[in-house]
Amino acid sequence: MKSYDVVVIGGGPAGLAAAISAKQNGASVLLVEREARLGGILKQCIHDGFGLVRFKEKLSGPEYAERFTELFEEEKIDSLTLTFVTRIEKEKDGFRVVLVNRNGVEAVFTKALVLATGCRERTAKQVMIHGTRPSGVFTAGTAQHFTNLLGVMPAKKCVILGSGDIGLIMARRLTLEGAEVLGVYEAKSTPSGLTRNIHQCLNDYNIPLHLSHTVTRVFGEDRLTAVEISRVDERMTPIEGTETIIECDALILSVGLIPENELAEALSVKLDPRTKGPAVNGQLMTSIDGIFSCGNALHVNDLVDYVSESGEIAGKNAALYCKAQRKEIDISISDKLLYAVPQKLDLNKDNSKTTLYFRSRDVLNGCTFTIKKDGEPVFSKKYAFLRPPEMENLLIDFSSMSLNENSKIELDIEVKNNA
Amino acid sequence: MRELVCIVCPRGCSLTIEGEGEGISVSGNFCKKGKDFAVSEMTEPKRTICTTVKTAYPQCPVLPVKVSADIPKDKIFEVMAEINKITVNKKIARGDAVIENVLGLNVDVIATSSMLLKLD
Amino acid sequence: MNIDKINKKLQKQFGSAVKAELSDNIITVKGKLSKWSDVVAACQTAATKYSEIHVVNDIICEEVQNKPMRVPKLKDNALDGRKVDVLIIGGGISGVSIARELSKWKLSILLVEKEADLALQASGRNDGEVHPGVDLSKGSKKHYYIRKGNEMYGQICKELDVPFERVGQYVCFDKAWMKGIIYLYALWRKKHDGISDTEIISGEELKRREPNLREDFKFAISNPSTGCVCPYGLTIAYAENAAMNGAEIFLNTAVTDMQVEGGEIKSVETNRGTVYPAIVINAAGVFSEDIAAMAQDRFFSIHPRRGTNSILDKKAGAFMHSVASTVSLNFGKSHTKGGGTIHTVHHNLLLGPDAVETYEKENTETRKESIKTVFDKQKKTMPSVSERDIITYFTGVRAPTFEEDFIIEKGRKTKNIIHCAGIQSPGLTTAPAVALDIEKMAVEELKKIRAVEKNPDYSPIRKGVPVLNEMSDEERNELIKQNPDYGVIVCRCEEISKGEILDALRSPICVPTVDGIKKRIRPGMGRCQGGFCSPLVTQIIAEFLGVPLSEVKKSSETSVITYGKTK
Repeated sequence: MKSYDVVVIGGGPAGLAAAISAKQNGASVLLVEREARLGGILKQCIHDGFGLVRFKEKLSGPEYAERFTELFEEEKIDSLTLTFVTRIEKEKDGFRVVLVNRNGVEAVFTKALVLATGCRERTAKQVMIHGTRPSGVFTAGTAQHFTNLLGVMPAKKCVILGSGDIGLIMARRLTLEGAEVLGVYEAKSTPSGLTRNIHQCLNDYNIPLHLSHTVTRVFGEDRLTAVEISRVDERMTPIEGTETIIECDALILSVGLIPENELAEALSVKLDPRTKGPAVNGQLMTSIDGIFSCGNALHVNDLVDYVSESGEIAGKNAALYCKAQRKEIDISISDKLLYAVPQKLDLNKDNSKTTLYFRSRDVLNGCTFTIKKDGEPVFSKKYAFLRPPEMENLLIDFSSMSLNENSKIELDIEVKNNA
Repeated sequence: MRELVCIVCPRGCSLTIEGEGEGISVSGNFCKKGKDFAVSEMTEPKRTICTTVKTAYPQCPVLPVKVSADIPKDKIFEVMAEINKITVNKKIARGDAVIENVLGLNVDVIATSSMLLKLD
Repeated sequence: MNIDKINKKLQKQFGSAVKAELSDNIITVKGKLSKWSDVVAACQTAATKYSEIHVVNDIICEEVQNKPMRVPKLKDNALDGRKVDVLIIGGGISGVSIARELSKWKLSILLVEKEADLALQASGRNDGEVHPGVDLSKGSKKHYYIRKGNEMYGQICKELDVPFERVGQYVCFDKAWMKGIIYLYALWRKKHDGISDTEIISGEELKRREPNLREDFKFAISNPSTGCVCPYGLTIAYAENAAMNGAEIFLNTAVTDMQVEGGEIKSVETNRGTVYPAIVINAAGVFSEDIAAMAQDRFFSIHPRRGTNSILDKKAGAFMHSVASTVSLNFGKSHTKGGGTIHTVHHNLLLGPDAVETYEKENTETRKESIKTVFDKQKKTMPSVSERDIITYFTGVRAPTFEEDFIIEKGRKTKNIIHCAGIQSPGLTTAPAVALDIEKMAVEELKKIRAVEKNPDYSPIRKGVPVLNEMSDEERNELIKQNPDYGVIVCRCEEISKGEILDALRSPICVPTVDGIKKRIRPGMGRCQGGFCSPLVTQIIAEFLGVPLSEVKKSSETSVITYGKTK
């Protein structure tokens, strides 16, 4: 059985960054990817806007991905594409990863694992759309796959449900390819996607955005013929009597992403119900020694730059991983935050350069983010605004806070003028 | 007075523009790019296009492309029409031009992937 | 019940709006009512449960919009002028099991199904439970067939290579005082139904076997012979075996009319030409009444009843490993066999079904209320089930008669038809046994016309597509070495390979659609519901058929997925 220091599962931006950084930190690395080409979902994200943080350039998805795959190739890292991890078994000093590919079933041993398995899209049934089961109901990612990789049109006249970024991007994309986008409907009272995407994808093309509306029903026995739109109340429950029928041939859903953690769960990795990804410490190690998590499998990011960054952190720490006693304390959050990553700090580790990711629960203007130690602020930063769709990240020196195992760390956001 | 949202970066600053021409003043921008964006929006709004172009390779029927620099917003569909006329039948690399100086705009349409080079 | 009594009751409920007439052993209810629920109530008043004197519904209902049966767009002459020994109408579990049993004989068998695949209606839209048969009255056809059917399942599923598990059923009770009564009831049932393994188990024992059921159950009836099967998987397997043995299966083929002369069906019209059958078998589900009418042999009516089931993620599947339900104290009020929480053969949890009367035979739209009803009910059995674990839901329409019993008999007025009608729960359980009886009836009839010989090439064995993710590493490795496509995983949720998809495309009844492949080997059945794999499956199908992507459909001819090239 082949043996590695680090096996990275997933060849998207998180996995590529993890593999490169693990290798650069001296580890022997294998990257496993189930598709034929590395790059993950970026391969189909042909729009630009990637890499502004990292490269100070507006790159398209394939450009961003290829910069990493080229670096990956230069590092001469072992990789297996068209290879699927069917299961992982915990062994005494590591893990036995069982792989399936065209050559058969093979197992490799590794000391540390990086799970960079990305996320999947929520489906029509998960947002309780009822009615018939026609063709023409796609998640935005599926529609994007058809349009951008296979070069075929999934819609001629469509409605988009959900103002997540992929939905907005697809609204513009389909318009450019000659489809008619009748409107984007969002159950929340604020958009889910980035503000700039509302402007450059919808406003630029006169595509209306209807907030506090959702699709409640679909029609059509064969291909979709129409959707029923309802207004929703503040609890996002459809209001009876507000239904309108819109004729269309496709419904494209951008209603949220869910971190893919089936492999992690099978290994009993503890998940954070808020992020739906593993709860990790500052080294991005999960509750199971030697298993690291990064990218969208850890929590759904809005910028790929942060995906790569978390990959690098996970990859590096997986390379440096050696079994050691942990001394972990929780990082708790107030109800002003939607979530924060990491959820824990290992006091036996160097936490002087901990990357902290968080999202606010609501749209907040003029506010201060604070880290409290035993109720006392030890760090604060002012923000002109915080919006749930826009993830914030900070580099925090937790080591200088003289923390011990009884310390209570809480993250909070204070709003000055609550108007 | 006009209000705009800057689309240069994900920060998405809300910009307020007052005055016209030389006397234009922009507020709400976090960086200089925001001001430049506002000025451009007031004079000649420009956008990028990211799309695909047809190829002669069945395993890879379309290749992602973009314009090498922003083009006037009102030319988007004209440029799309030009792009849709093209078939790539050479294995080109990322950055290679698919159309040079499209519609005389001094902008090229360039490949954003080297995926064709990896075909068997 | 005599007809005067019926009319008195009807008079009381509906005044002079409806009236019942008895002639030829048929109770015909006539009149005019505004609501369908009243139509059902009136016919139920006229009907006697399990009686062979059936109610025919001729009430004009103002609410009903008579939509004609959906007929496939396809029109050709593929079957025109075809003479066959047996024409089976309906590609549900009844029709295909009959086709398979008849294929033991040297006969020309043609099965027609109006949908684009088999098991697209009730047979593919149920909970897959193989019932133990403890809740049916003696004298009914359901009761007559259920134990026979249940006992055949092990063997049939082995022959047809279909996953089947006797997972056992627990009917749970939360009132300790009921134990005595239920104990006696169970004893009586054991004797009445001839089931030796039914037993009462204690609350502690139940907790030991199924720790995630509600805490406060005091005891349960355990029926170990209860099983679960993939209902469309079994239907497809039966049909494939029939096809291997020479039966012809025509999908997208609807019966639109018949010519009947002198009490005999002379010919049958379809959208693919006129067929001349010696015998017709009516296994047309909700349309069995319409087929009977075409054959001038209408002596029963169907009142369609919707049922909705929810499928939960495999993670929830790990909560529970059998079939469980709670008895509510309104015995006899509802027409579902109770529904329940079921651990499926594919290791999901299935919750359902409910039971809602409808006049729409083909309306399988799901509704919010149904999901809520089912969850409210099943949470009483297993509180930890959550709507959040739902990956999909579906609605089927059952085909009950007003007598709530099956009709398994030769035509009453028309001699060359055999009805397999009024099939509803537990019709999946009884199908293997019913098919044997219909086979006998058909052969008997044919023998009146000519000699019928055994089919010397008949084989009861059908091999399904190998399921690689359930194999040992060694077995799987061996198969991949023979065919590397088995090592290319296309559907990540269900771990289905390209090789398995190609096998399904090469199976005896090829249905080269995304749904056809999904029903056969499950890509797209998992938690992402085809989000990742549907473009890949579409591509594999297109390559296999040598057609552009836009030619690959979801299911029917008009269920287009993509509209051609972007440029």
